[in-house]
Amino acid sequence: MDASCREVLEAIRYGRIQSATKAALSVLEAALFCLRRVSSVNEAKATLRDFFSEALEARPANALLMNVIRGAILAVRGRLAEGDLEGVRRAFERYYRDTVKLVKEVNETIARMAVNRIESGDCVMTYSYSTIVLKALKLAKDEGKEVEVYVPESRPGLEGLRMAKELSDYGIRVTLFVDSAIRYLMKEVDKVMIGAEAIAANGAVVNKVGTSLVALAASEARVNVFVLAPTMKFSPETIYGELVELLERKPESLVSEDKLKEVGLRLGEGFGVKVPMFDVTPPEYIDAIITEKGLIAPQAVTFMLREIYGWPFQFAPVRELLGEACESP
Amino acid sequence: MRVPEEVLRIADDIRCMRIRGASRIAQAAARGLKLAAQLYPGGDREDYVKYLQGVREALRSTRPTAVSLPNALSYVMSRVMKAYDSGADLRELIDVTVKSADEFIGYSRTATKRIGEIGAGRVVDGDIILTHCNSSAALSIITRAHEEGKEIEVFATETRPRYQGYITVKTLRDRGVPVTLIPDSAVRLVMKRVDRVFVGADAVAANGAVVNKIGTSLIALAAKEARVNFFVAAETYKFSPTTVVGELIEIEERSPLEVVPEEFLRSCRNVRVRNPAFDVTPPEYIDAIITERGVIPPQAAILVLKEEYGWALKDYMLKATAEIEEAL
Repeated sequence: MDASCREVLEAIRYGRIQSATKAALSVLEAALFCLRRVSSVNEAKATLRDFFSEALEARPANALLMNVIRGAILAVRGRLAEGDLEGVRRAFERYYRDTVKLVKEVNETIARMAVNRIESGDCVMTYSYSTIVLKALKLAKDEGKEVEVYVPESRPGLEGLRMAKELSDYGIRVTLFVDSAIRYLMKEVDKVMIGAEAIAANGAVVNKVGTSLVALAASEARVNVFVLAPTMKFSPETIYGELVELLERKPESLVSEDKLKEVGLRLGEGFGVKVPMFDVTPPEYIDAIITEKGLIAPQAVTFMLREIYGWPFQFAPVRELLGEACESP
Repeated sequence: MRVPEEVLRIADDIRCMRIRGASRIAQAAARGLKLAAQLYPGGDREDYVKYLQGVREALRSTRPTAVSLPNALSYVMSRVMKAYDSGADLRELIDVTVKSADEFIGYSRTATKRIGEIGAGRVVDGDIILTHCNSSAALSIITRAHEEGKEIEVFATETRPRYQGYITVKTLRDRGVPVTLIPDSAVRLVMKRVDRVFVGADAVAANGAVVNKIGTSLIALAAKEARVNFFVAAETYKFSPTTVVGELIEIEERSPLEVVPEEFLRSCRNVRVRNPAFDVTPPEYIDAIITERGVIPPQAAILVLKEEYGWALKDYMLKATAEIEEAL
């Protein structure tokens, strides 16, 4: 596999690219790059099959990634079958361009709707790093709304620090604190806005580990929780009972050898380290999901899925589709 | 007042958290008074009491939240003052100081052990236990249950910003208890698998609310949601007598540099860091407080306060009344 693909896989697997949107688009971009270099349709099939399979394994919960891979395969399936390499490239490139544009547009739409929910003087808590939430907060600032943002550091990974920096650079006031202080500071918060890795058929939201704690503490303090996510992040697979697989990271991504040495510990010597990457927030802690088609109750996710996939639901499971379209002759 | 170098070092160790944990702080404070008594350069009994009060203040002002600190100091000082009032001479006052300090330290050690014995009764064979930070009392329970032959497993949180969880992991591993480190953000995720939570306390208020390491109340909330028993292990000297007369327990906010490096702060001009060291867990999230006197519901905190601090409460009441009268 191409080095650039390997690099992308590493980045999305170990959280250097935590944002679900960035992860999905990076995978498409790397695939396009590789397609330009292959010399036969069979090679193209093998590349897509191997790279996409590994990408799905690297971020098994990322519904957007699943959906854009499904879309990409559907876009090139015909050309692959015909053995038209140039056609495959053209179709893939078109799909990539359209998707980048679409994602940008829907995120913009969602951010605009979210801004309607932000009032001047609000204190908004967010969690981890979310492209859409960042956009919404910047838009609110552009509209002259005075907003203060509360950002937990979000261990492991510390995406909160990156979120805090980008908000700060845009001139937005930020309060940063350890994840443990979420409940302590929730009393000062007016709204919670978070992104999503995936949204299951029952409206449960998969996101960076710790999100469900934020939602729980918000619900206790009667603070509204909004999830900002395009319908592309709805996971149709879960309609058929498929569980969203929650990835764990290597112990090294949480603990540093130096820190351990200070207390006289070494990795692998008599203790365990559990480093989950995601958790699931139940729908009852979410006041609304803001999608590009409007604001919905989390329990109405199936209704939106019907709009997209029809009734009865019609969609090709991504792994099957990948296997069929990229089968070696 | 002249405070001996050796005592200032103890005060500094408490302030900079080289000595941490409510029990260890309390014992160190008593040790500080004892040391001061032994190092007293000489003078008369009036001077000695003033000197000792200066030492007390130097130790007391190190950390604002842990009640064990003023309680330990009061334990020794109240005995010294009683001896002073009944006319004891300098030699006797020094003896009383040393004896009371030793007594307190001995009591504290016994209390932590006793909590272990009582608390272990609440642990069931096969339990998965979650603990936060590094509490001697909570570890005493876990260790005791393990020694009794109960098969247990422990989740220990990292406990940002200062990672005291690592010390917990080390202690439990060395004692042969299976232990897994998790980030603080994963407590709700693992709570489904947890049977019981044991945490320590820095202070217990008159209404049964528990002040402990930041994150404790979030864990209690997640435990409540998952119907997991939540226990607080606390020696009676962690109960706060001043809260009976309505005083609030101050929550210490520590340096931002414990959370992020200085370069980060310099590069982010609009970022302010909040670093509260403790939070307050409401009594309704606590199933029981395990003290060396027995297991009590948090709402019965006033019972402990009346029984253990009857003498002090009277003083506080009188002081509060006097202040009100003065104001009028």
